[in-house]
Amino acid sequence: MMKKSFIGIDSGSTMCKAVLFQDSRPVDVLISKTGWNPKVSARQNADLLLERNRLAPEDVVFAATGYGRESLDFTEHVFTEIICHAFGGMHLVPKVQGVIDIGGQDSKVIRISNGKVVDFLMNDKCAAGTGRFLSMACESLGIELANIDGFVNLEEFTPINSMCAVFAESEIIGLLSTGTDRSKIMAGVLQSIAQRIRQMIERLGFSPGAPLLMTGGLSRSKALLEAIAKAAGLEIITHAYAPYAGALGACICAQQRVAAG
Amino acid sequence: MGKNQLPKDFENFADARKEGFLKIKNLKDQGVKVVGTFCTYTPVEVIMASGAVSVGICSFSDETIPDAERVLPRNLCPLIKSSYGFALTEKCPYMYFSDLLVGETTCDGKKKMYELLGELKDMHVMQLPQTQTDEISKEMWYREVLALKARVEADFGVEITDEDIRAAIRLKNEERKLLKELYELSKACPPPISGAEQLKVLYGSQFKFDYEAKLQELREIIDKIRQDYAKGERPVPESAKRILITGCPLAGATEKVVTAIEESGGVVVGYENCIGAKTVDKLVDENEEPYKALADRYLQIGCSVMTPDHNRFELLERLIDEFKVDGVVEMTLQACHTYAVETESLRRVVQGKGIPFISVETDYSAADTAQLKNRLAAFLEMMA
Repeated sequence: MMKKSFIGIDSGSTMCKAVLFQDSRPVDVLISKTGWNPKVSARQNADLLLERNRLAPEDVVFAATGYGRESLDFTEHVFTEIICHAFGGMHLVPKVQGVIDIGGQDSKVIRISNGKVVDFLMNDKCAAGTGRFLSMACESLGIELANIDGFVNLEEFTPINSMCAVFAESEIIGLLSTGTDRSKIMAGVLQSIAQRIRQMIERLGFSPGAPLLMTGGLSRSKALLEAIAKAAGLEIITHAYAPYAGALGACICAQQRVAAG
Repeated sequence: MGKNQLPKDFENFADARKEGFLKIKNLKDQGVKVVGTFCTYTPVEVIMASGAVSVGICSFSDETIPDAERVLPRNLCPLIKSSYGFALTEKCPYMYFSDLLVGETTCDGKKKMYELLGELKDMHVMQLPQTQTDEISKEMWYREVLALKARVEADFGVEITDEDIRAAIRLKNEERKLLKELYELSKACPPPISGAEQLKVLYGSQFKFDYEAKLQELREIIDKIRQDYAKGERPVPESAKRILITGCPLAGATEKVVTAIEESGGVVVGYENCIGAKTVDKLVDENEEPYKALADRYLQIGCSVMTPDHNRFELLERLIDEFKVDGVVEMTLQACHTYAVETESLRRVVQGKGIPFISVETDYSAADTAQLKNRLAAFLEMMA
């Protein structure tokens, strides 16, 4: 009999996300730090999902995405993050025309049309506009990543001019030394990321009307969403399961592949 | 350098390179002159007609880049750094044994590098116009072809007769016809060879110096592939997405792009670049005045150094149709401004035909292998 349960693992550079997918919907999710060994964190997440849902490994189809996907030894299906975030995103919000994912070491914008990925852009050559850039800024400013929304007012920001994450850190340290308010610096960092994402959005040519879905962990920041929406002049939305879109998409892609034989 | 001496590091080289050195030393010992070239704009028939051999200078490996960066800026095209580095380090047999180097004023990086290279080697730089259709450019390039003839004749103490140049044109055309026949085998669905194999033959052909033997060998390769296919051999699955590669010259270190495509369920069916179709797509007119025919043919090669660059787009669109291409992958080398800017026009042309397009920028290091794989795998999944 064809298996009806899927576990998708999104082994990211920072966090490892896992989704259990049954009857074509996500029924359980979990997230943990990827750590130095992506194999171990992925295995632990998969085992935990199996255990708390009383499933045996042989009942389940395993699929992987994320930068650690190739290193996993228990997943039958492997897909890139692009396709997974797109399919995960469409599952969560069917009307989206695009997906934005700001990952730990890259950021991507995906254009979707008629249920298919038609184009995408990826920034993976440079840390500017990635999660790494934001966590570096948080560290320099002594702000918890989870608390940035409480710190900033987007209207009051000090522009960060450096295009390079390493030099931006020097710039932040310089601003702090001259007594600049750290909430203004943080707002400047968000604006800088928003400008980066805006450039990618504009290159792909979206039209107003349908929203873009922001996935990944940073979709939790309302301030960042707002900054991107303002910069791009488009509606940017999120979803409670948005951080799990990649892992969810891996389940959906695997299900399609299994169905296609 | 003493007469036909091997370089002092010779014993440390790998076998393939030793073989390259010995092969070319052997030619030199027989009194054959060697001319190193950099670019597909060099009318090599002029060199062949003089009795010299022309050979593409090594420029596809990162091994000499650290040496080159002692002189050249870091943020420069790796191809330029690599070739200059090979001259500095005496690691390229063709550069090392060359009696003359011929370059053109193609991109800014190359033409300025040639000034420095001229300090190390005998260098002849042809002034390449930047447009292809106006009479002044055509006239100028014709004169540059004649100037190359004069330089070769003076340096090597020979006279190139009308018969010599016509024979060289015929021979080179024969090679073009065979190379074209070879890569056009991949018009078949599925193609009879992978893109990696196609590249190996196309790139390798420029390092064989016995022309008759080379043409014979190409004929045999083509016939063998045809026979195997007719017998039903299908090394490439029908499901493989058919990819056309375009952009900067691709070989050696940047074969990682081909590998990433072919490991992700794609197959490269054609190369719209200097290793592939660009150099062989058009023949030199054998009925015209030879130098005029050479100038006219070479000036029309599409490249982002030209403005506008209609010929690149014309060839690309034709290849997309003829090879039933599913997607176009452009590879640009880091700090290649002309190709990087032209990417936008290219994107419009390709996507305008409804064909998926991706442009990746890379260099000669292995640092971005995983990132390239990720992007190109996503591109192929997108088409699935």
